Amino acid sequence: MTTTPKSGAGVSRYLRLYIVLSQALAEGRFRAPEPLPSEPRLMREYGISRSTVRRALARLEAEGRIERKRGSGTFAREQRREAAAPRDFSPVLDATAGPSAAASSRTIAFEHIATPAFLLGEQPGFGATALLIRQIRYVEREPVVFETAYLPEAIGSGLTRRRLDADRGAILKVLGALGHRSASLEREFAALEADPVAANSLGLAVGAPVFNVRTLARDQRHRILAYVNCLYRPDRYEAHAAIDLGDPRRCRKRERR
Amino acid sequence: MRPPPTRDARRASRRLDMGVARYYRLYELLSAALQDGTIAPESALPSEPELCDLHGISRTTVRRALDRLEREGRIARRRGSGTYARPHQPVQRLCLELHALPETLTALESRTSARILRCNIAPVPAALRALATGVAPTGYLLQRLRCSQSEPLSLTSTYLPEPIGRRLRRPIPSRPSLMTILDHLGLPTATVRCSLGVAAADADAAHALEVPLGAPLLRVRAILTDDSGAPQAVMESLCRSDRLQLKVLQRI
Repeated sequence: MTTTPKSGAGVSRYLRLYIVLSQALAEGRFRAPEPLPSEPRLMREYGISRSTVRRALARLEAEGRIERKRGSGTFAREQRREAAAPRDFSPVLDATAGPSAAASSRTIAFEHIATPAFLLGEQPGFGATALLIRQIRYVEREPVVFETAYLPEAIGSGLTRRRLDADRGAILKVLGALGHRSASLEREFAALEADPVAANSLGLAVGAPVFNVRTLARDQRHRILAYVNCLYRPDRYEAHAAIDLGDPRRCRKRERR
Repeated sequence: MRPPPTRDARRASRRLDMGVARYYRLYELLSAALQDGTIAPESALPSEPELCDLHGISRTTVRRALDRLEREGRIARRRGSGTYARPHQPVQRLCLELHALPETLTALESRTSARILRCNIAPVPAALRALATGVAPTGYLLQRLRCSQSEPLSLTSTYLPEPIGRRLRRPIPSRPSLMTILDHLGLPTATVRCSLGVAAADADAAHALEVPLGAPLLRVRAILTDDSGAPQAVMESLCRSDRLQLKVLQRI
């Protein structure tokens, strides 16, 4: 049976087309003098009506991202700075030396709470209470990530809001400086739709794709230091992994065993 | 907890909300609260009149949001006593662990099947050419749709240098991973460099992966190189993250 994905309804067709075209424009896939696909072609490809196509194009036009020229088609306009080709701010935020001067953060919540049930379900050893930190992190004043972190009470008790702000919201770096150095990071990646809170924080349309990275940091003794749930703007952040397979033939052999 | 929004923020949020049904906004808010435990399992949700007042929306709209959560099995409505959060049902997803790539690919090959959608010479997209220098502007495109029990998981476009593409034996086997295919050609891979992000499903991806237009998909771009550092292939995979779990364990 095919399960209907969560994103099946509630977001109008015009908004879906707008999101897809926005992404293509941001990636520079339509470069003048090449026009965007014609209205009839968009109708056919996406199985939607002319008025829906026009609504999506009208919104892009109102935002100054496309130009419709009578009789010759629709063209991409020079993108505003923030909508330029995707830039990867991961080094600015996550550099081992700490975030660079271009990074800043705004703390929305910093409070001690009862550990939420989902976290206790996943990590029974987390402890009954947690320090909740919710923040928006910026690079060059543009929002990049909406971050929700839970720290076990024993770890979080040494951390102050002021200290975190001074270190531009780099939680794991501050913990390292407080003597809780991360020894392993377990990361899980997912694609989600921006809910209204995340959309507002990141300046995205509700329903637009966001890049979800959940990190569980542990120290040398395998104690949990933090569980951090990040929602990134996909045009401003990518995660990287380099996998060295060593002698490939040996790898293959090991795998067959 | 959250400071009241300023007028500008309210205006900006109205703009961002354009095209989104009111019920859906409430659905998303409740959905997030259920997910992160703000509304704990077995505890009561606010009543319908409370939700109407709180969000300034009609009873019908509130009911639509609750109907959807109920259909998804996330809340239970008990006549006369209210609406309750149901405990989480863990979903079984195929897990890919990047830090154990050979093992992960073996599992992928044995637990999934794939269908070839395209195999032809095609221009390599700029985003993939940017992964490394020395990637030719055209390549041999092998596009495959990977499924688990006939449910689509990922749509992968691989671009091989033309000389390697020409060496593929016909019929091209659909199931093996790119690394296995290269290995069988006597071209073992030494390094894989990935960048992970997300993308909105365009018409092709939405159709192949059976998701709505614009649905969020995990996007994995990778370059495979041999032991001399020469690129062997570049690829882009669009994955349904509701069916595929992607993990990486990093030791510092």
